[in-house]
Amino acid sequence: MVSLEDLKKEAKQILKENKVKYIIGYKKSTNGLMPVPAFIKEPEEVEKLVWDPTCVFNLTRYLVDEKRRKTKEKEPDERPVGLVVKGCDSRAINILLQEKFINREDVYLLGVSCENTGVLDEKKLTKKIKGEKVKKVEFDEKDNFIITTQEGKTKIPAKEILANRCLECKANFPVIYDVLLGEKAKRSIDNPFESIEKIESLSTEERWTFWKKQLDKCIRCYACRSVCPMCYCDECVADTISFAVTADTTAEEKAQKIKWVEKSPVSSENFIYHMVRAIHLAGRCIDCGECERACPLDIPLRFLNRKLEKEAKELFGFEAGFDPDQPSLISCFKDEDPEDFIR
Amino acid sequence: MAEEFEPKIVAFLCKWCSSAGSDLAGVSRMEYPYNVVPITVMCSGSISPLYILSAFSRGADGVLVSGCHPGDCHYIKGNFYARRRIALINKLLDFIGLEPQRFQMSWVSAAEGTKYTEIIKDFVKELKPLGPQTKLGRDL
Repeated sequence: MVSLEDLKKEAKQILKENKVKYIIGYKKSTNGLMPVPAFIKEPEEVEKLVWDPTCVFNLTRYLVDEKRRKTKEKEPDERPVGLVVKGCDSRAINILLQEKFINREDVYLLGVSCENTGVLDEKKLTKKIKGEKVKKVEFDEKDNFIITTQEGKTKIPAKEILANRCLECKANFPVIYDVLLGEKAKRSIDNPFESIEKIESLSTEERWTFWKKQLDKCIRCYACRSVCPMCYCDECVADTISFAVTADTTAEEKAQKIKWVEKSPVSSENFIYHMVRAIHLAGRCIDCGECERACPLDIPLRFLNRKLEKEAKELFGFEAGFDPDQPSLISCFKDEDPEDFIR
Repeated sequence: MAEEFEPKIVAFLCKWCSSAGSDLAGVSRMEYPYNVVPITVMCSGSISPLYILSAFSRGADGVLVSGCHPGDCHYIKGNFYARRRIALINKLLDFIGLEPQRFQMSWVSAAEGTKYTEIIKDFVKELKPLGPQTKLGRDL
């Protein structure tokens, strides 16, 4: 079990020794069950830190903002940022390292194990306890969550309220860390691609109807993009704006400002946007499920990324996020890559 | 009698092999369907997924990507990269429910004018029964 006291002690220690600039972790919010990200600068503040199954967010995203901030500073603080990472978050770190977006010495990782289970899905929990006010959710030894409501404690099997991504998680412990809290217990999963195979088994037309219905909902709020630790491009194809073409507009300017995707949230443009995002995340998505959680319209975005993850594994034997030294999926090739689809 | 549906195909051909292959078909006066709009690119490896999606979104009924045979690439390994990338796009297009016949890839060398005409002929034949592509077409 991850002891919260140990986590606080570690955090306090590194802050006292001035090893880190600040620590990003989770703290209790002022309203409701779900925690909020905590930015801890003083050793006294570590008492705020929490770690329980409600800590769903992927805090790796803040490293992207941190890097942007750092590049603007005249005399940047070169100390690393302390970061609390779960299994999926640590894989995201691996990708950022692999792409040389950050250096290993830029982060100090406090790895926490997900205790053989994972984090919960808030919607599933609300449904399960029928709207009662939950005060606290804790890990339990045997694949259960202990839920404290006004009426007392109840045990719920973790499987019933786990987030979808956690049900299919390959490694529910950090794969890269400076300090590890909790055990590296690997949960056995029968079929990590179960949900995808369900959609794959549909006919082409049925799949089309499914996606058409889902992606028609999209309002293009770009929450999926904002929350994704891999979507760190300074300029996104979805943001291309129309610009006035005058007599002295050069061909280069025109070529750089092609409007690939219209901004209107209509079906066809939504398809292009989401497919482009899926392709850009091929071999990089580590399945933290944040896009799906952040989506205000409940579009199952994970499926798109998951599909390409599956294909990368089946076609090229590629798994993202486990080795920071391997080349990225589409910047390498093997002679024996499949070409049965080519004439 | 209603006119027969003529599919519109956008073909991305690499400059060094496939484009030369299509040229050979032309100068040898081989006959092949006029449904194809060739776009010459420097290498099949330079084809971004966006090109393909854009083609579909602007109303292409089928998209063909063609490059040099593996090992023949003018840039040594561009077509190997293309092969990986196109495989992924192919799977994704299929996953969202676009008919798999609408997107194809081929290796055509500069000497294979006949192969090029065969590929276009087959492609057109496969696209005709499907009718116009409306799924990804821009509905603005």
